[in-house]
Amino acid sequence: MYQYIIRRVLQFIPMLLALSIIVFGLAKAAPGDPFSGKILDPEVGMEIYEKQRAELGLDKPIPVQYLRWAEKIVQGSFGESITYKGRSVESLIKERFLNTVYLGLFALFITLLVAIPIGIYSARRPYSLLDYGSTTFGFFGLAVPNFFFGLVVIYLFSIKLGWFPAQGTLSSNKLTGFAEFKDRIHHMILPGLTLGLASTASYMRYMRSEVMDVLGSDYIRTAKAKGMSNNNVLYKHTLRNALIPVITLLGMELGPLLGGAIITEQVFNFPGIGTLFIGSVINRDYPVVMAITLLLGVAILVGNLLADILYSVVDPRIRYD
Amino acid sequence: MLKHFKHRFALLILLLTLGMILAACNKDGDKELSDPNGSKTPDVSETDDGEEDATDDGGPKDGGTIVGAMYSAPAGMFNPIFYEEAYEANILDFTHEGLVTQNDKLEFISNLAEKWEVNDDQTEITFFLKEGVKWHDGEEFTADDVVYTYQAMSDPEYENAGGVRVNYVAPLLGYEAYQSGETDVFEGVVADGDYKVTFKFAEPNVSPLYYASFPIIPEHIFSSISVKDIPEAAESKDPGKVIGTGPFKFADMIEREQYILERNEDYWQGAPHLDSIVWKVVAQSVMIGLLEKGEIDFVASPGGIAPADYDIVADFGNIEIIEQADFGYQLMGFKMNHRTTADVESGALNPDNWVPNKKLSNPKVRQAIAHAVNRQGLVGTGHGEGLLHGRGQPINSPIAQQMWAYDESAVTAYEYDPEKAGEILDDLGYVDVTGDGFREDPDGKEWILNFDYPTGNELRERSAPILQSDLENVGIKVNLRQPAEMSVYVPGLTDDNTDWDLYLIGWSLSSTDPDPAGLWATKAGYNFSRWNSPTSEELMQKAVKAPDAFDQDYRSEVYAEWQKHFSEELPALLLYAQNSLWAYNDRIQGIKILPHSMYQDAHEWWVEDAE
Repeated sequence: MYQYIIRRVLQFIPMLLALSIIVFGLAKAAPGDPFSGKILDPEVGMEIYEKQRAELGLDKPIPVQYLRWAEKIVQGSFGESITYKGRSVESLIKERFLNTVYLGLFALFITLLVAIPIGIYSARRPYSLLDYGSTTFGFFGLAVPNFFFGLVVIYLFSIKLGWFPAQGTLSSNKLTGFAEFKDRIHHMILPGLTLGLASTASYMRYMRSEVMDVLGSDYIRTAKAKGMSNNNVLYKHTLRNALIPVITLLGMELGPLLGGAIITEQVFNFPGIGTLFIGSVINRDYPVVMAITLLLGVAILVGNLLADILYSVVDPRIRYD
Repeated sequence: MLKHFKHRFALLILLLTLGMILAACNKDGDKELSDPNGSKTPDVSETDDGEEDATDDGGPKDGGTIVGAMYSAPAGMFNPIFYEEAYEANILDFTHEGLVTQNDKLEFISNLAEKWEVNDDQTEITFFLKEGVKWHDGEEFTADDVVYTYQAMSDPEYENAGGVRVNYVAPLLGYEAYQSGETDVFEGVVADGDYKVTFKFAEPNVSPLYYASFPIIPEHIFSSISVKDIPEAAESKDPGKVIGTGPFKFADMIEREQYILERNEDYWQGAPHLDSIVWKVVAQSVMIGLLEKGEIDFVASPGGIAPADYDIVADFGNIEIIEQADFGYQLMGFKMNHRTTADVESGALNPDNWVPNKKLSNPKVRQAIAHAVNRQGLVGTGHGEGLLHGRGQPINSPIAQQMWAYDESAVTAYEYDPEKAGEILDDLGYVDVTGDGFREDPDGKEWILNFDYPTGNELRERSAPILQSDLENVGIKVNLRQPAEMSVYVPGLTDDNTDWDLYLIGWSLSSTDPDPAGLWATKAGYNFSRWNSPTSEELMQKAVKAPDAFDQDYRSEVYAEWQKHFSEELPALLLYAQNSLWAYNDRIQGIKILPHSMYQDAHEWWVEDAE
């Protein structure tokens, strides 16, 4: 098992190297550079940006620029952002990373909290009113654009009812300890709901079809024939087996989760990795783009590894040596 | 059967309910308004209470907090010499000050400088500084701070560190020698004692006050940091460490969410009434709701209120809207010349090598196009019309209309007249010979104008297909290409050894000096039309040439001539100047509205509900 994990982790290195070369190449292949999208200001001549390009080495051949970047990485630094003057890439990511993780986990929590029980219930009572209702609701959540759903909940729960704050992650720096925690959760409910409900449908459907599948299998019939109670059958035998595809889904989710949710972040002004990433792509802020891409690459690889390990936990037949 | 029916019924109810929720949410957007101009003033009954309170107590009250909204977070550079964004300016406008500022007529008036003297040939201007002005950390503001600010911007490392404001220091005496590192004696700005400072220019300068208007940063904070490291320094970024002389201190922030400004008790014009001003970053789509609810008290440039939302906000009753023309305009440019590939590669702007763009090189063709475009149609005359809902006007001069140099009477106003456009083109020989409904050029060859435009400004984006159809109405075939994001579009616009003909761009102009050379001089990088006119060049230089140009009336005359020349030559068709729409809750008192800002004298702002 440990050998397997070590082997997998070692495989990450060439993969990340390839990823960084491809992304760097693609980023550079896109027309424009960090200065070409600046707001045109008649008081600021274009020649100034020429000098700044040269200073950053943007006029050098792409392989040379890549090596310069890679050199810094090996030294353990992602370099400095170009758009955010005087800021290291680490500080920019750090500033938003926790927001993204909290929001992502909170949304995932809501997703699972809604999807798993409803999925199980729907499987046990297929074609019931709740089954139809939840399916409709789920697909509605999938079909309604995130930003629209976000605006609707802001309008209802924040502007009309005043239950939750509409924007941001925190009311004041003066809050500390538990008050701060409470305030952060308070701010997270609307964006978490918006983000969480969007992916509920797929989990719900997976859960429903898997549980139905397992319920129809031979060993469940055997268990029932032995006289096991319905609940026992469900929780001991069915769920464990039905969770496998959901774990796959979860493993794949880790990457996007850390990648942030651009639309939700924008509508709720919830500063996270998603808006930083899209902004950096638009501004051609290469160091930030590269750092986030690598971060996501690692997250996806680790997510898949974790899913593989979890398989062996829920399904004893799966073993890694 | 019955069971199925029940399910369908339940589904139907669910859908209907959702539909109703959505419809209810959309109600405000559909509201019909009777007043076509939407220039409703708030109902008297609603504002009465507040005003009575004010007269009862007779004057401003101390205390209270107001909340401003901006649509995007500042990048985080709170140092005047390095910041670049309007969002950062939202904070710096309250924390930092220059020697002079502008009044409602855009004249320079005293600020940190009490008075000034200019020598006869305008190569030197001497400022006498206010005494007793304190930095936020209690240190005294002196002439050394002024010298330091301009010296830092002239530093050899300044541009490499990301500074872009060289415009302010380039005309100073000895700038080049100091900037290139040849000498370390900075002679451009010289202090004489603590309260007297002289700016020296290499050549007679027609607008010395403009160059001296830059916000001053504290020497005692930055002199120990090398210019190269200033952008990284906490003193440029962190609340509590950013030090200015302004009425408010940058006290706290929740990065990318809130920026908190607190009263500067020792402000030299008197302590501000308000305890604090909080800037909140909010999504544009949510702002209006928060404004109505009172969670947001004011919103201004950049962005303000969208023209389409004017009537909704006016209807709230407790929100004052300030509508005035913006300093700037949108234009449709004509690529009059293209550069050669060799020049594009070397970055040279050498008019001698330029290749005329035959499709557009005849000024009459450009004038015909101007007549073909319904600019008033783009602007509209009221709510629901055009792109701007009437919140703007078509303009004909590239000088900001608030400026003393602006002269409406000098320019040709190309009124919308498709027939006239057709006649001009007919006379020039641009007629449809193939019978496909589009004109060919005088040689009978295909005549297609390529039209490129950027994303980023939604109204401008939407204007492109309208302009295309206006031109096609008079038989000009337009090849409207895919819009590109700015960072792709600008290189395309600059590296013009290509087939570009028509382009869209917007400029926001300075409120300080009308000199158009930055945009329209032949060799200016921003002269994207590659307009090469000796007459224009001569006039622009004449307008800033000492000693005649020391006289503003003289400059006005020359600029009038230049504007006339511009509108005949038409290197670009100016489409419209949008009105800026700022808004504030009427609980805030004492706001002073200037053409370029509403943040001046913020220490005099107060709220009626202060405790």
